[in-house]
Order: sequence, then C-alpha cells, then structure tokens
Amino acid sequence: MGQLLTRHTRRLAFSVAIALICSGLGAACRSNTSSESAAPAAATRAIPRGGELLVSVRSEPRSFNRHASRDSTTNLVSNLTQSRLVVVNQVTQAVEPSLAERWTTADEGRRVTMTLRRDVVFSDGHPFTADDVLFSFEAAYDEKGGSLLAEAVEAGGKKLQVAVTDPYTVVITFPAPFAPGIRILDNLPIFPRHHLDAALKAGTIAKAWGLDTPPSEIVGLGPFVVSQYVPGQRIVFSRNPHYFAKAPDGGALPYLDRLVMEIIPDQSAKLLRLESGQLDMMTSEVSPDAYAPLKRAADEGRVTLLDLGVSRNADGLWFNLKPGALGSDPRAAWLQRDELRLAISMAVDRKVFADTVFLGAGVPVYGPETPANKNWYWSGQPRTPHDPAAAKTLLASIGLTDRGDGVLKDARSQPVRFTLLTQKGRPNLERAAAVIRDELKKIGVTVDVVALDSGAVINAFLTARYDAVYFNADKTDLDPGTNPDYWFSSGSAHVWNLEEKTPATEWERRIDELMTRQIASPDPAERKRLYDEVQKIFSEHLPMIYFVAPRIYVAHSTRVTNLTPAEYRPQLLWRPATVAVIH
Amino acid sequence: MTRYVARRLAFAAFLVIAVSSASLVLARLAPGDFVSQSGSTQVSRAVLDQERARFGLDKSIAAQYRDWLAAAVRFDFGYSMQYGRPVRDLIPERAANTAMLAVTALVLATLIGLPLGVITGSRSGGALPGVIRAASVVLLSMPPLLTSLFLVFVAARTGWLPISGMRSATVPAGGALLDLLRHLVVPAAAIGLPLAAMLERLQSQAMREVIDEPFVLATLARGVPRSRIVWRGALKAALRPVASVYGLIIGTLLSGSFAVEVITAWLGLGSLMLQALRTRDIYLVAGCAGAGALFLACGTLVSDLALAAVDPRAREMPAEQA
Repeated sequence: MGQLLTRHTRRLAFSVAIALICSGLGAACRSNTSSESAAPAAATRAIPRGGELLVSVRSEPRSFNRHASRDSTTNLVSNLTQSRLVVVNQVTQAVEPSLAERWTTADEGRRVTMTLRRDVVFSDGHPFTADDVLFSFEAAYDEKGGSLLAEAVEAGGKKLQVAVTDPYTVVITFPAPFAPGIRILDNLPIFPRHHLDAALKAGTIAKAWGLDTPPSEIVGLGPFVVSQYVPGQRIVFSRNPHYFAKAPDGGALPYLDRLVMEIIPDQSAKLLRLESGQLDMMTSEVSPDAYAPLKRAADEGRVTLLDLGVSRNADGLWFNLKPGALGSDPRAAWLQRDELRLAISMAVDRKVFADTVFLGAGVPVYGPETPANKNWYWSGQPRTPHDPAAAKTLLASIGLTDRGDGVLKDARSQPVRFTLLTQKGRPNLERAAAVIRDELKKIGVTVDVVALDSGAVINAFLTARYDAVYFNADKTDLDPGTNPDYWFSSGSAHVWNLEEKTPATEWERRIDELMTRQIASPDPAERKRLYDEVQKIFSEHLPMIYFVAPRIYVAHSTRVTNLTPAEYRPQLLWRPATVAVIH
Repeated sequence: MTRYVARRLAFAAFLVIAVSSASLVLARLAPGDFVSQSGSTQVSRAVLDQERARFGLDKSIAAQYRDWLAAAVRFDFGYSMQYGRPVRDLIPERAANTAMLAVTALVLATLIGLPLGVITGSRSGGALPGVIRAASVVLLSMPPLLTSLFLVFVAARTGWLPISGMRSATVPAGGALLDLLRHLVVPAAAIGLPLAAMLERLQSQAMREVIDEPFVLATLARGVPRSRIVWRGALKAALRPVASVYGLIIGTLLSGSFAVEVITAWLGLGSLMLQALRTRDIYLVAGCAGAGALFLACGTLVSDLALAAVDPRAREMPAEQA
C-alpha cells in the first residue's frame, strides 16, 4: 500500500507501460525539461517573485530526516528541502525528470541508466554527483541504520541494485520485472553524502537530522532550506539560492522568498486565521464541518475554495481475520465469515453514510479503488444494494437469526455483538463508526464503538487483539503494483491478517498469484485485466469494506497564485517551487 | 517556622515525584506508543520493533520506570523522543512562558477584579454595580476554554490582534516586545477575565461585610468622606479574605492556562504536554506533569507561608489542611 501520508501518489499506469515498451525497443525515453516547467499559466503571464507564504500544519515534524519518520509534516518538510531523481506529476501522473535529466532502459525495463544533471549543487554549495544517489540508496537499505525508506524503494520486497559508472550516470537494476518501474524513485529523497556519511557508517542514519539539529546543517537539493525552527510554533524556510530547476522564462525558482509553516493543532484556529488573512493556506483538505464557513468566505472573496474531485482513498472497515486470533471466543464461528461482511456492506445505506459523515460531499464506493483512480478502477465492480432484509437473510444463513425481538442471536442464543475500534479525534472516522453502529442496529447487530488514539488502534491490529477496525487505509500510489504490502498475504499492510507466512485462504493465495503476475507484466492491458480479477475476488470476500469516498476541497487566500492543485496531500504544495504570492 | 517550611517543601517534593511517576507509568501503560502513534498502517512489525528498541520502548514498564527514577534523582529526566533534547532543557523554556501568561493574567485579574468588587460591594444600588455583577456572572459561568474561543473569534473578525502563537514570523514595526505583548493579550484576557470576575465577587462580598462593621459607621459619623473610608479603611480590611484564596487561584490559573494555551497556540507547558501526550513522548509527559505539580506546590507554599506569617495558628496545622 505504499507509505501512508508519505510520498506522492501516482496515476496513469499506461504511461509507465508505454515507457517500458519504449525501453524494450531500446529507445531513449525522454529528454527532459525541468519538472517545474509544466507549471500552469507560467508561460503566459508574469508570475510575481518574492514574498512570503504562510501555511499551517497540524503537528510538528518528528524529524528533519525522512529516513527517521514518515509523518505528514516530516514528509512536507522533505518535499520542500529535498529533491528526487524523478518526480511523479500529481496531476497527470506522468513520471517527469528531476535530478535525473534523462534515462534509458534495457533488459525489458529491468535496467535503467540515468543521466544526472551536471549543474546541480546542494544548498551548501557542494556539488551533487552520482555518489550522492548511491549514498541515498545505501542509507535506505542499511539494516543497521533502521531507515523507514527501505520498503518504499523496493521492488517486490527486494532491493534495487545501484551502480555508479561515472559522476553523472547511475545504473539501477530491478531484481525482477517490475511494471511500475522508476515511479518508486519518487519515494527517495537524495541526501548529501558529505553531511551524512558518518551517520551511515555508524549505523545511525535514522538518528541524524533530528529536531535538535541546527538548521544550517540540514542540507538539501530542494527549493527551500530550513532557516529557523521554533519548537511548537513554526518552521521558517527560505529560498535555496542553488536550486537547480528554472522557471519557464529561464528565471530562478522558487518564486517565493520565504515559506513559513505555522504549527497550529486546533482546526478552528486554523480556519479563523485563514478567513482573517493571517494564514495563506492549510496543508490538508477542508473538513466537512469547515466547508460552510469557508464557502461563505469564498463567496465574499476572502478566500479561494477549490473542489479537487473525489478522493482516491476511502476509509475502510475490516475484521480480524487472523485464524485463531479469537481463541475460544464462541463468536469466532461467525465473526470471521464472509457472509457477515457482505451483510454489513448491504445493511449500511451509503447515502446516509455520505450525508452524515461528509455532509453529502461523497460518492459511494464498493471496492478498493474509487472512481478517482480512472486507470485501475474496475467498471464491473458490483454495486451492493442497500437491502437490510437481504442482509438479515444472509446472516440467517450462518445461524444469526432474529427470534422476534429485533436482535440477532447466534446458535448459543447470544446477541450478535462486536467491538469496532476507530481513531479518536478524527471526526470523519468517529461519525462513520457511529453510522455503521446505527445502520447495523436496524438489522439487529449490536456494535460497540470504541475510539482510541491512532497508536492504540494500530497496536490493536498489529497484535491481532480486536474484533473490527474502522480506520484510514490510504494508498499513496494509484498503481496497484506499488502497493504489494497491502495486496500480498505476506504484506505489512495486509491489515486484516498481517504478514501471513502462507496464505490463510484460497482467495488470498489466488490474489497473491494474480498480483505477482500483475506487477511483472509489461503489458498494460494484461495488468488491467489481472487487477480487475483481483478486484472481483476482493468484492466476493470483502476483507475490507468501503462505503464512501469524500470529495476533496482545499482553501487558500486570494493572494496565492500559480498553484497546481492535485487531489493528494499536500494538495497545494506538492510542487512548492512554482507557488507564488501577490504582494 | 523552619520546621513548617521544611515540612511543606518535603510535601512539595513528594507531590512532584508522585505526579511525574504516575504520569510516566500511565502514559506507558496506555495502548500504543511513540512509534505506533505516527498513524501508519504501512510499516512492517520488524521495522517497528527496531524503532521501539531505538527509543527504549522494548523494556518492561518496571525496568523503564526504575531507570528513569534512578536518573531523575540526579535531575536527568530523560530525552524527549520527539525533540531529541533533554527534558530538563525543554521544560524550563515552556514553564517560563506559562509563568509569563499566568502572571499577566493574575495581574490583569487583580487590577480589574478588586476595584470592581469594591464598587459593587460598597454601593447598594445603581446601574453600574448591576452591569458589573451581570458581567461577572456571565464570565464566571464561562470556562476559560470558551472565553478564549470567543476572544479568538473577536480577534479574527476585527483583525486587531494576532489569533495564536507567541511571536510573529517576521518581527513587525514596534519591535519584538510589542509583538509579544500583542500576542499575549488574547490568552491573558481569556484566563484573566474569568478570574477577575471571581475576584470581583469575592471582594464585593467582603466589602459588604466590612462596610457594615461598627468601625466604618463610627468613621462615617466623624465626618470622614465615604469614598475615603471605602478605598482606604474598608478595602484594607476586606482584602484579608480575598488574599487567602490566592493560593487556590494559582492552581486554577495553571489548569485554566493549559486549555487556553492549546487554543491560542501559546508555547507553554500545557501545549507541550498535549503534544507529548499525543505523540506518547513518555519522558516529556512525566516532565510536564512534574513541572505542573511543582507550579502548584510552589503556589500553595507561597500562599501558605503568607498565611502562616499573618496567622500563627496555620503553622501548627497538618500539611494537608494548610
């Protein structure tokens, strides 16, 4: 499933496949322009330069080092201060050059030769070379160092091989045919060997660049550098004068002089500041509750409110399907049955769900992909009808019957009841859990909703001590081939039964087999067919039940310009170098 | 007196150790930890275990508490997992900010509440005392959390004051001190106004009782102007019962300021503790709780010492009653 709230997502697997076909023919794939050159409107009007952008984040970063932390603020800091070899365009989903200005592929896409830009220096003026690329892979793969980036740059659970042939050429070899190809390189920030080599050698790469590090020591290739960090209050970024990418007019990027990231945990305070002009943008989407006041402010011309369409992710409900996890609990006879999950999918009215949880701004979903994932969404996905009577009939088939009092009972005459864990402090999750509880009550199933800290919820399913969970299950990449940890039974994000040694069920074994072929196939049509089959099996067994995908809204002040909004976080800042303000 | 002070200091030390120990153990006992709190379903258990070992979270609770306590007696309260800095370095910075907020609020409350209490307590009728009493009742019925939300809303709508934080990213014209004072207004008013209402009510009641005392009537009969009696003699007499509740007020100040700090993003102990609890930064949780207990203990100690100085009977009372 990629990394939650970490790297950019990707779309258009067809473009990847086309790239692979090109490489198969021995053609040099692209020679490039800067990844920033596609900025909207940049070629047609003057973009204001200078000024300061004031954005908010909910929490502090846990580190300035992506090897050490995967939280959303650390990831945003990394986006601002580091660069990658390639960048996945969040709007088109195409892979674009970045530090690698071009590349060629061979051996059916398994070997990629990347030519690096020659005019690039780190923010401290030190030249960037292929050795820094090699270092970044070594740091990610160093087992002693404990980097959290390792899994993000693995293909099918195996490391890539990286070789340096000259200071500006690297050859990357995939361990096996891997259809998503170099998209995964967008997950790896390129770090400076001259600053972090000692940490790598000491096996402490994940301890480097903690929050106590002086900003001057945090060196990168990104458009900004950290110039000040006030714990609990803000991080101030100033423009990196050495940033390599250029604007379409040949001028330097970024456009902004400064970017100030205010740490504001309280949602109401953020909204008030945005409405009153004391903030330029929030780095997360607008919550349903905040939509109405922001719409009023937008109508009055105080802010700009953008509708970015349906989210590519929907939160999901899953049961503990680990065999034997329920021990001698007699509910094991029905709690892990497919029929229960199918009945729940039928019993919950998705319109009520959308109206209650997202105040109407959502679309029903029935499978692992939402309609936003146009390339991989299975159009044949069965739309489970809202049919409480059919749900009760289905439950009766596994011995859960209503004996006239409106409460379903099992074979031991015990009420059908389970505990649903969800995350405390996330209104969407808490409201959704309440809707599920209320809808299931109508068919006689009692649900006890327990809201816990995210860590407690994660701990519960890591240790398989739970009945059911309603939680965010975000995929960071639209290409299913980059989410093996979700799909494979041995995966670390195969949440309903984590890291199985062998597939626990026949249908999981079949999905393993299909996904193995799907990831390796160079043929886009074949990949789509295989993934459709995976989705079909998924819909028959529903290991994860999806209900509604929200629409994504974002807001910013009217002085912000030249944005390239994308649906995935950080929606307005995934391309920070091109953002400008009217000042 | 020395014995009394020693007894009170021992009690304060016990309070700090008990509160921080309980915080550490409870934070550790709660499901989840600093590693799992990052909210990811994506990382393998092997990587999580490696992370836990890095932060010492693989030890048993007993071992972790024993190690922490052994270090704490040497004033080493561990490292914050989030900030990578010693807890003993982080706490004083934030405690100073909380103290700045609390002292400002207390001064504000005293300067507003006491004079208004004198006015309402010394006049039996009229529009002004009625308005003041009504405002006090409204403010008293609103917790600081709501008051701060209201003030933040007003600040946002009018644009007169910054809504949150302690300092602007860019030092504005007028300098850093003025910038700090502007940021201080909303949180200090959010805490200080309800306190002012409380002081007004207490002072009003005390004034009413004093104003009927024979010595006041006698002074009036001698032809001394009423305003002079009210603002000098009667006020002095009425201050004693009000002064005795200042110890309690310090406790209220601290608990009230925690909520206000979070709403207004004031960088005090409250917001630090919330952050520590959210991320399960257990050593920082223990440090913040201990510092909070120290604040309370110091406040009550100062109050008790003041009371003991004026009332020798207080020195003989058991600590928990003092």
